[in-house]
Amino acid sequence: MSKLKLQTVPNAGGVFGAGVEGVGGLGGSPTGPLNIVHVFWIAGMSCDGCSIAATGATNPSVEDLLLGRIPNLPKVVLHHPVLSPGAGTEFIAPFRRAVDGTLGAPYVVVLEGSVPDDQAFPTEYGYFSGMGVGGFDPDHDTEQPIRVSDWLWRLAPGAAAYVAIGTCATWGGVPAAAGNITGSMSLTDFLGRDYRSALGVPVVNVPGCSPVGDNFTETVAAVLLFLANLAPVPKFDELGRPAWLFEETVHRHCPKAGYYEEGVFSEEPGDNQCLVEIGCWGPVVQCNIVERGAINHMGGCMVAGGACIGCTMPGFPDKFSPFYKAPPGSALSGGVSKVTGGAIRRLRRMSMQSGNSEPQWDKAGEVPSGWAGAGGGHGAVGRANAYFYKKLQYRGSVNYAKRNKQQPLPQSRNILGQGANLQPGAGVGDTFEHRETI
Amino acid sequence: MCFKNLPIEFDAQGNASLKPGVANPYSYVETPAPTPIEDDPERMRELFARNGAVRRVDFDPVTRVAGALAFHTVVDLENRQVMETASMATLFRGYEIILKGRDPRDAIFISSRACGVCGGVHATCSALACEMAFGIKPPPMGVVARNLLLSTEYLYDHPIHLSLLAGPDFSEAAVRETNPEIWERARNTRTRGAAVHGYELMSDLMTDLTPLTGKLYLEGLYYTRLAREAYVLIGGKYPHPQTVVPGGVSTTIDASDLNEIMLRVVKYFDYGRKTAAIWDDLAEFFYEVNPKYRDIGTRPANMIEPGQWDDPYAYDGTYANADAWGRERWAPPGVLVDGELRTTSLKMLNAGVEEFVEHAFYEEWTGNGDEFYRHKTDPSGNPLSPWHPWNKETIPKPEATSWKEKYSWSTAPRWDRMAMETGAYSRIWVAAQTGPQAFRDSPYIESTGHSVKIHLPKAELPNTEIEWKVPETWGAFERNRARAYCILYTAAIAYDNLQLAYDLLKKGGPDARMSTPYEMPQDHRIGVGLWGAGRGYLTHHLEMDNGVLENYQILTPSTWMASPKDPFGNPGPYEEAVLATPLLENYEKPEDFKGIDVLRAIRSFDPCMPCTTHMHMDGRTVSREIISCACGADEVHEHH
Repeated sequence: MSKLKLQTVPNAGGVFGAGVEGVGGLGGSPTGPLNIVHVFWIAGMSCDGCSIAATGATNPSVEDLLLGRIPNLPKVVLHHPVLSPGAGTEFIAPFRRAVDGTLGAPYVVVLEGSVPDDQAFPTEYGYFSGMGVGGFDPDHDTEQPIRVSDWLWRLAPGAAAYVAIGTCATWGGVPAAAGNITGSMSLTDFLGRDYRSALGVPVVNVPGCSPVGDNFTETVAAVLLFLANLAPVPKFDELGRPAWLFEETVHRHCPKAGYYEEGVFSEEPGDNQCLVEIGCWGPVVQCNIVERGAINHMGGCMVAGGACIGCTMPGFPDKFSPFYKAPPGSALSGGVSKVTGGAIRRLRRMSMQSGNSEPQWDKAGEVPSGWAGAGGGHGAVGRANAYFYKKLQYRGSVNYAKRNKQQPLPQSRNILGQGANLQPGAGVGDTFEHRETI
Repeated sequence: MCFKNLPIEFDAQGNASLKPGVANPYSYVETPAPTPIEDDPERMRELFARNGAVRRVDFDPVTRVAGALAFHTVVDLENRQVMETASMATLFRGYEIILKGRDPRDAIFISSRACGVCGGVHATCSALACEMAFGIKPPPMGVVARNLLLSTEYLYDHPIHLSLLAGPDFSEAAVRETNPEIWERARNTRTRGAAVHGYELMSDLMTDLTPLTGKLYLEGLYYTRLAREAYVLIGGKYPHPQTVVPGGVSTTIDASDLNEIMLRVVKYFDYGRKTAAIWDDLAEFFYEVNPKYRDIGTRPANMIEPGQWDDPYAYDGTYANADAWGRERWAPPGVLVDGELRTTSLKMLNAGVEEFVEHAFYEEWTGNGDEFYRHKTDPSGNPLSPWHPWNKETIPKPEATSWKEKYSWSTAPRWDRMAMETGAYSRIWVAAQTGPQAFRDSPYIESTGHSVKIHLPKAELPNTEIEWKVPETWGAFERNRARAYCILYTAAIAYDNLQLAYDLLKKGGPDARMSTPYEMPQDHRIGVGLWGAGRGYLTHHLEMDNGVLENYQILTPSTWMASPKDPFGNPGPYEEAVLATPLLENYEKPEDFKGIDVLRAIRSFDPCMPCTTHMHMDGRTVSREIISCACGADEVHEHH
């Protein structure tokens, strides 16, 4: 005799009713134009940091996508464990319809977090990451949690696209680092080389730990704009990363990269120069956080003085740790940079000094600024430097400054000296006369 | 008397020691968990006679919480009571082995990845544990920078909970679906705080709490971003900052950074005033509609709070002086039992902590307290339990879920063998009871002994004094209300610290440096970081030798609160609070039940599950084979 079981309720957690659109409801039709897309956001071996990063995106923002604020883009209906209004049975219902093929609209699956290898043992031995209860067999109600890995493979064939967000989902990340006892792996590793979505696309990877929120929302927008026949085909690199976001190294756009070039390095945390010697991997890491900022164009690791630890890369974290040790390659490249950069820095300082002086200050030999002890003019060495510098600068071109050589200096009005006696126009006539004759 | 259940006594000088003459003083006899209703055939026959009034309702997943939480209930829909509860953390990542043998400083970055909602405080707590182990302290500016990081973090954290996670349960859409009569009443009820928040009618306020379309929802989302913009100026990125180092931060801070932060922080003055007024109105309105709403999520006010925001001149990173620098914090530490302060000592707070695994997917490691264990005392000689985090070993073992045996990946932490809750509300509650003598000097915050008064300069709204009072009853509405007041409390601390930072910039010199130089020790060391997250208690306990980690244990707020039952027969806080929750939802037939009151009770704790379950590291277990053990294919355990 089978065990007696209590009845359940059909809409547990459905505190917003079943018909709510936007976050976590249903809607759309299988035919007709693409006006609605369901997004199933699933968290595996995750810290939820990618969800948090996505809520920080501003261009476009999550609400821009969900409220249909962008013309010609289909409306996104999001099923998200952190954001959806409904809970429990009510929340899970659309996931079940997607698995059954009865959703009635196309869907995209977004995975945050890596995938544990709990498919390696039978369900009665438990799980590492669970979501939902009741299993998939309508004849056998069970109180055991459903493994997230079950959802992932069941949703795979019907998904229009499969997007991995963050370094755990894209490359395994911290849960898959050395010592990984749960068998954690990336979505690509889990689904295998031959996986293609219903639209024929392999897994799209938006890495970062956590990723820049805008990198994710912009990728979504780029794909949808393409599907709406507006934007060109988004380009992805050989690892499925949006190429326009990840093809450059983060060092190339780093605000401290110039220090590297001039051979000046931070020695202690809190110093303002290039961070390579306190462990920055920026020169070999593909990431755009310093140009895009972390949130709403603010921050970014090295912008704030944080050394890059390679968190967007497939080798993270093990190939970049211990994090506070300078990368081995930096001894060579940094050493070279200190020698050549030191010379470059000195030459630049001379040019900068010249650029910081109005031509007429050069002539007058003084800087009439009340701010500083800026002496103005140049010593003998400075004048010699300036002479050769200008020779080089204007070779094959015109030195405009020369044409004005005879121009008289405009006169300081010396406001404090004249006080209330300052007469607009006084003494101007002479100067103008001279000018006309030049 | 600090402890009532642990075998610890105090001499006349207040020094703690084990009660003499007790063999295995920490051992206990397990009280078995009650038999689950569905496993009791006799009870089931009785319940079946009641025609479906008793139902099993599983909230899996509980959405609008961070991370993987599932909640099992059996409810009596006729008598509107909850009969059985089980709180389930449904994720295990095994960071313990991953951290083993790594450079302790790497734990700052790796432990941050435990939680993507409050990763910043994990990184900080880890840096504090390193500082204690290395014997270093940051220069004052390093501490102030840290205070700015952790105040702007909470200014993002509180709005995300109030607007995006808990708020929707009080919105028009949810209330109309679950209690249409309350919605009708809201349309005819004037608010009290209209002068501050601008809503004349309760119904207008509730409409604007609606997800995605509500103005308050979208405004909350905006304020989660604004504070993060301030955060990343020092932290580089969020949730996983890139600049937290032992001995300070690696950021260079100039006046421009401080200006940018200040211009954002001051926007929270009015937002904080407004949010406090809104949650005052929501609580009072529901209490008026039905006084039983006070009992949603009620349980005894037993709370644990390690405090946060260090005094830049008092904090020295040592365990020896932890009580002294702890008490100088802007949020001082304390343990409350039934709303009364039991201790304000960080060491006693630490010494009272134990973690139990009878109902979690781990194996017990001590032989019930009678075996050798490594740390019989803390560095100051106070007794420690074999179940203390410094002594903990983690032996994970996934298995089928059973309400009687094991059903969660969360352990059961207890203080003095009692279940504790923790959060923004324990922070402001302990601060309130600290009193005017003991509470640090602050131009903006005053502790009266029974309330916290906050006075901040006027922005668009006037500088009216805002007062949070210790509530008469304790439950879901009061948790949310206290959290709302904590926006203002946090903004005051951010503002206070901004001025300290400006002063240090003016002064210059060694105090204005961002970090302190140090040598990595190679000998055996232990350390602990004690610094509450936005949602409460957080500690990182580490043990290192030869420059690498031997043991790393993280204990998080939601581990305390999502915990399963303990061996003494006590449910975890969520379980206890939901058991006490009356079902006030409007339903005619059992089939119509949705469970909003249960969800309101759970969400009021601000659950954050990612870091609840998997930050227990231990050098003595290797567990890749747990998978094969679990399969039964390989019976060889290779636990070293």
